[in-house]
Amino acid sequence: MTVATEEEKQPEKTLAEKETLAKKVALFYRVFSGSVLFGRKGTILWDSWEMWIMQIFITPPAEMAFFFLLAIAVYHDLTQAQFTVIGNAVQSMSFAAVFAVANITSQDKWQGTLQTLIVTPANRMALFIGRAMFQIFMSALITAAAFIYADFVFGINFAHANYLALGIAIVLTSVMMISFGLLISSIGLFMRTAMIVANIFLFLTMLVSGVNFPVQALPLWLQPVGWAIPMTYGVLAARGAIMGASVLSLGTILLKELIDGITVLFVGYFLMKGFERLARKSGRLEEY
Amino acid sequence: MVLSAKNFVADPQFVIPCIIAPFIFTMVSLFFIVSSSSNNVGASALLAAVLGGGLMGVWGTTVYGSANSIGFDRWNGTMEATLAAPSPLIWIVLGRVLWNTFIGVINGFIVLGIGMTWFRVGVGLLNPGLFVLATILTYVSMSSFGLMLSTVYVLSRKGGFIENSMEIPVYIATGTSFAVALLPFYALPISFIIGPTWGIEAIKRAAVGTAYAYGPLLPTGYWTDIAFMLVATLAYFALSFILFQRVETIAKKNGTIEEY
Amino acid sequence: MQVVEEPESAKSREEFAIEVRDLRREYVTRSFFGKSSKVTEALAGVTFDVKKGELFGLIGPNGAGKTTTIKILTTLLTPTSGRAFVMGLDVNRQIYEIRKRIGIVFGGERGLYNRVTAVENMKYFSDLYGVDPGISRKRIPELIHLVGLEGRENDKVEKYSRGMKQRLHIAKALVNDPELVFLDEPTIGLDPAGARDIREMIREMEKWGKTILLTTHYMFEADELCRRIAVISKGKIVALDTPSGLKKLVKDISVVELQTYGATESFVEKLKSLNDVIRVVADLDSERQFVKIQTPNAADVLTKVTQVADGVKIIDKSIKEPTLEDAYLRLVEE
Repeated sequence: MTVATEEEKQPEKTLAEKETLAKKVALFYRVFSGSVLFGRKGTILWDSWEMWIMQIFITPPAEMAFFFLLAIAVYHDLTQAQFTVIGNAVQSMSFAAVFAVANITSQDKWQGTLQTLIVTPANRMALFIGRAMFQIFMSALITAAAFIYADFVFGINFAHANYLALGIAIVLTSVMMISFGLLISSIGLFMRTAMIVANIFLFLTMLVSGVNFPVQALPLWLQPVGWAIPMTYGVLAARGAIMGASVLSLGTILLKELIDGITVLFVGYFLMKGFERLARKSGRLEEY
Repeated sequence: MVLSAKNFVADPQFVIPCIIAPFIFTMVSLFFIVSSSSNNVGASALLAAVLGGGLMGVWGTTVYGSANSIGFDRWNGTMEATLAAPSPLIWIVLGRVLWNTFIGVINGFIVLGIGMTWFRVGVGLLNPGLFVLATILTYVSMSSFGLMLSTVYVLSRKGGFIENSMEIPVYIATGTSFAVALLPFYALPISFIIGPTWGIEAIKRAAVGTAYAYGPLLPTGYWTDIAFMLVATLAYFALSFILFQRVETIAKKNGTIEEY
Repeated sequence: MQVVEEPESAKSREEFAIEVRDLRREYVTRSFFGKSSKVTEALAGVTFDVKKGELFGLIGPNGAGKTTTIKILTTLLTPTSGRAFVMGLDVNRQIYEIRKRIGIVFGGERGLYNRVTAVENMKYFSDLYGVDPGISRKRIPELIHLVGLEGRENDKVEKYSRGMKQRLHIAKALVNDPELVFLDEPTIGLDPAGARDIREMIREMEKWGKTILLTTHYMFEADELCRRIAVISKGKIVALDTPSGLKKLVKDISVVELQTYGATESFVEKLKSLNDVIRVVADLDSERQFVKIQTPNAADVLTKVTQVADGVKIIDKSIKEPTLEDAYLRLVEE
């Protein structure tokens, strides 16, 4: 990864300005590790214990219960209801993996630190993913808790579950979902509507990612939206893992998720670069 | 009074979040109904579902909005100014809550409209007159509930936590999307004492005719529903009045209003 | 306007920290539906140089273009036209290189992470600037010492006073040992003692050999600190000189200063209508009012003041030499 695209456009470079690859990697790592440490401490969102309680103990089981009961009411069928339970257990990561990640930039905006971040030479990818690391951890934690509810409250049968495959599906999905956090953050550099988008994203996956019913049941035009979101594959993989599928047999799904997530990550990264340039042109950086 | 509330509510950043969850939840329930209706569940179930979605829209904005309009005061440091205003706090907050709930009604209509268009749900109301009456009374009842909730918020910023985490449980408990009878027995008393539960029941009764929320559990009728709701609503107003008097004294004494 | 000369010789690049040539910036504001648009010209052709190691002031009224200039020079904004070089690097193209070598202090309380300590703020920005940890471990305590935050450096920033936050802003701007520091209204909103401390730090930074570009609202501050000052008004530089050079612009006048009790608008109007009065600046808000009258004929005006007093009690009156503020007012208003 190059440190700056602007640099490439320089007409001439003096020797001192040139950076060796090793130095670039070291710089990337410093920005990344510094941001990892800062990601927890500097983020207001998880500062209050109420937020922890709400996001781990209240919202996930409430959402799971809503769709569980809704499915019972409509289908009168426990299997259908349990289908939604697993989907919503994975979906419960949305808050940490997407909303909280998008919130980082938004928080930087209203406390006025975004400008000071932008004027640093730090690599944006290292900065962003580093800051998001804590949210990845929270995301996996919340989802793990949700699967415990799935077992004890909603009676999902874990007898055949392949825990390794389930664990990999949860962690991979947590990591890959931050790509949408980045995407929304990029929008936030330029538009004030970013948190609205983040709010929509908090629930959108319930509809389009096969959480409550298969993606194939969606109207045709909406299905690509589902397949563009890594969670869609994550939900499939989690269902497979609970039925006992091995990591290897879920390989294709997980690989698709990986490719999808990385693609979105790069789209988000270049969008961020583009929006940064656009914001410099229009002078809208510190508005929100 | 209403103007100050407008400042807050008019911002799409605050309004839109309240409509997303109800919208998505309604869409999912419509997908459920459509996919299960090989045996023809019929128009009434679809209508009940979109109505439920609309009611969630109102609820969400009431619960979330009444909490946050006061939270907004805390942020801006105008809480003290609000407390120092010559009119009693309860009237100021009531104004905001009524306004928020009204925005909620608009939110509800949006959810309703989209749901109806997308799934081509018919508007054939069984009894339009009773439907309108029940809707208006439910609006008042939801406002009274919001008013009562907001006392918590005047006292402490933790109120936001309580109210935010109540959103989905309230959808479940008041039978917006499915019968309350599905809930475990220990949850039933909670939904019985929430006034709007009865209103939602009455609205659905007037719209599609079937006793939706309680099912076989409590074979009540439209007017009993209304009566139960009115009792609950009056109780909320009375309770709010008492709570606000106490809260105002406590808040002024402890100075907890200043901590944002 | 001055003739625009392209800075091209290698020598000029070595000598100057900042070179600005006919810099222009327009803002386009669109209405909600994007149908009509309005173009505001924030910078209408600005040219100046700042030498390495110089403490350079940029003063002007609100909206004159100070912040726009700083934003362009700090790579936060692209100019509509014209060129600007920072440490010989093009602000349009060598963004990354420039960012590594400059430090910025934005005025006001915002822009710090409140939930963490001063040291954590500085450590994080050191990482973002790619400062070697070994160096930053030594540098951060030094900077904490410079800004006088010892003993409080491990407190969360949210507990800091306004003045302490501002000092931390300065320390944070120096974590990458920048050659050039931008200070955008660093004393705004501070109490007199806090502002004095900040000025002391600015002097210290100058001693360290840093080039400093300072914008300020306070004329005495610019007078006290800056080697050279550019006065910017309506997007243009209307004067660029040393403080004493600028004051020479108003050497033909002196200032009658009054301290009054009960002065009103009509009193100010009467003063304005007196012969030889160029400008009256009055602060009528406090219990005692301070009125400054610019005039080429101070002795004459001084005697006439009592004639128009009409119930206004004049507590004190004196004749003063014109200050930078008088020069500034003349430049900005004419």
